[in-house]
Amino acid sequence: MYRYDEFDEAVVRDRVTQFRAQVKRRLEGSLTEEEFTPLRLMNGLYLQLHAYMLRIAVPYGTLSGRQMRQLAMIADKYDRGYGHFTTRQNLQLNWPKLADVPDLLSDLADVEMHCIQTSGNCIRNVTADHFAGVAADEVEDPRPTAELIRQWSTLHPEFSFLPRKFKIAVTGAARDRAAVAVHDIGLRLVRNDGGEIGYKVLVGGGLGRTPMIGKVIREFLPRDELLAFLEAIMRVYNLSGRRDNKYKARIKILVHEIGTDAFIAWVEEEYAKLDGPSVNADPAELARIAAYFAPPAYETLPAVSESFEAAKARDPDFARFAATNLFPHKVPGYTAITVSVKPIGAPPGDATSDQMRVLADLAERYSADELRITHVQNVVLPHVRLDDVPAVWAALVEAGLETPNAGLITDIIACPGMDYCKLATARSIPIAQEIAKRFADVERQALIGELGIKISGCINACGHHHVGAIGILGLDKAGVENYQITLGGDPGEQAALGQRLGPGIDADAVPEAIERIVDTYLEIRADPGEAFIDTVRRVGLDPFKPALQPTEARLEAA
Amino acid sequence: MSANALLDGAVVYYAAGGRWSPHLADALVAVTEAEAAGLETARLAAEAAGAVVEPEIAAVATDDAGRLVPSHVREKIRALGPTVRRDLGPQAAGEHLHVSL
Amino acid sequence: MKLLDRHGWTASDVVPVPIEALGDGDAVLLPNDYKAADLLPLQSRLKLIAIAFPKFSDGRGFSIAKALRAQGYEGVLRATGALIPDQFAFALHVGFDQIEISDEQAERQPVEQWLGALTAIHDSYQNGEDGTASILTRRRYAAEAAA
Repeated sequence: MYRYDEFDEAVVRDRVTQFRAQVKRRLEGSLTEEEFTPLRLMNGLYLQLHAYMLRIAVPYGTLSGRQMRQLAMIADKYDRGYGHFTTRQNLQLNWPKLADVPDLLSDLADVEMHCIQTSGNCIRNVTADHFAGVAADEVEDPRPTAELIRQWSTLHPEFSFLPRKFKIAVTGAARDRAAVAVHDIGLRLVRNDGGEIGYKVLVGGGLGRTPMIGKVIREFLPRDELLAFLEAIMRVYNLSGRRDNKYKARIKILVHEIGTDAFIAWVEEEYAKLDGPSVNADPAELARIAAYFAPPAYETLPAVSESFEAAKARDPDFARFAATNLFPHKVPGYTAITVSVKPIGAPPGDATSDQMRVLADLAERYSADELRITHVQNVVLPHVRLDDVPAVWAALVEAGLETPNAGLITDIIACPGMDYCKLATARSIPIAQEIAKRFADVERQALIGELGIKISGCINACGHHHVGAIGILGLDKAGVENYQITLGGDPGEQAALGQRLGPGIDADAVPEAIERIVDTYLEIRADPGEAFIDTVRRVGLDPFKPALQPTEARLEAA
Repeated sequence: MSANALLDGAVVYYAAGGRWSPHLADALVAVTEAEAAGLETARLAAEAAGAVVEPEIAAVATDDAGRLVPSHVREKIRALGPTVRRDLGPQAAGEHLHVSL
Repeated sequence: MKLLDRHGWTASDVVPVPIEALGDGDAVLLPNDYKAADLLPLQSRLKLIAIAFPKFSDGRGFSIAKALRAQGYEGVLRATGALIPDQFAFALHVGFDQIEISDEQAERQPVEQWLGALTAIHDSYQNGEDGTASILTRRRYAAEAAA
């Protein structure tokens, strides 16, 4: 993974000093709150229902054991001993004090971490496939690209006061695990007929009030032209994105309102005027960055590990974990473990500082000192020998991180919702907890198979409900929390937005409704191999609509 | 009217005399239209002064024992703390426990 | 109104006029939704272009300035309006020479804050119109020197 050189180090150190001075100027009054707000947001510091919230950047979700251990220390020292992994691969702390934040940022800088641009109307954390570098279907590891974009977008003088936030995601694999189609800019690494690597560029995807799938604006952008092309897109957005209405200010609205063809023409016109060499990174720089992402020194191992197979035969719980939480690694004898941060009945994505320390130890000992945060709010140990999986699992069991539910119905994405967030119209975490408890039985989960439930506590869709196979949106109906269910969303390469199943229902009715939806699926699926999302694609929503009707009405209709 | 304290972000309520208190019981309640207008004026002033952050006005009622209870579930959560972590927020210190969702 | 450049307070008796009233003038004030390319026919005779910043959070002026420099404008570029000290370095980077602020703001944010803010972040990841070499450029120089 990337290591700072003296320039990167100086930037984050200067940033800490800068923020310390900005806090001082705010406290003494030379900065008004209105002036201070974008400055603190650009250091990831929000105001929430109960306290400030600090969002720490985990660039493209990758971190080392030492960094994870430092996050645990910071959670203990400045917060309440836990953190929340987010749908953009970052970590959130819910109780920091303003006066402590400069010291906190300094502790982060000690391990090459920061909170730069994790909020505000600027370019945010660049996210990537959490199986980058280990997936067999990968054209190229997307993280050198993500790191290059991170540097180019950091404290960009022209693009720090955009109409609204800006999110970029990169994937290098055929299966899109980075949801690039629902980002402001989505990049897919592709190979052209000549075998050269370049980017397929999508613009104008996004969730929230007006969810949209991104449009392809360049089928193949040569690798070396990336930064200049991104500048052209950003310049068009900065100049022409709407600033009259906060809810119409994302680039997706601009693309939609002027039309994709017109938007492409604007970008290409801007791009033609741009001085490429003054913006683009030269190939040597990309190679310098890419060298940091060279694979670890894998051992030559047989594809089948006898000790791993024996452990599965011995222990059915271990066998179950192995069946659900392991990702096929491109190197024989290795696997990538998804550590579920979704224990049944617990807030999705929350880890204690002790659990973070366990993960740090496991990464250092068993995973080439590397961890990934996924946008599904889980953690990945990407380079584990199959031989070592039993030992890792035993440690996970002790730490309460062994839940065998990766990708299953209880692997729920939930935003913090109205338990924490000022913007929320309903709670989301209790809904996730109740659904998970209903479906806790591991056999039943295995029977149901892959099913992504995503819950948002308001229309801003931080829980990504629009792209959930089952999406749940919490709203306020006359002062009472009310939940709308959507079906058929998909964040991947077959990106689709969920459709509303029917009118909203009460919190109490949600677990029951999910049960009936799942029962319907089990009844009508073509075969056990047909995943829920595929059944919905095949049959549409109508067979599922009765699931929302109250029991009496359904019995009457029968 | 509630707001977040500048330094630690904790929830505070606007009390008589223009001070801010962590106790809901101290909150100044506007009943008449004139009082409501006064509270709105105070909100704008608080915003401009910057000693607290994001002042907001919300509805309250009184329970049978005469205690102030926020009317909306969002404000109830704000008075108590996260419903999914009863060990955090004012509820953990025994505050506002008469507020129930 | 007070005027700032990278050395501190400065003064100017050049008063830019709105584009629609420019006539033969050589100092113009542009709104921040103006298309830089439209200025090309007059650019070579202009000595001062001022760009309005109605709100500091509205960053369009940064792109307009950059575009003007990219299309060859070599005169003075002035950002006029509500910028804050923390944007000063950005403004110089995209090609502004001056910032014009209200007297009230100048009182609240003395020149030391403005000049201090300029050097708060010493290195930049982007090449500047003011000649600042980006970190990427400096890495290349260092690699070439070492080679």
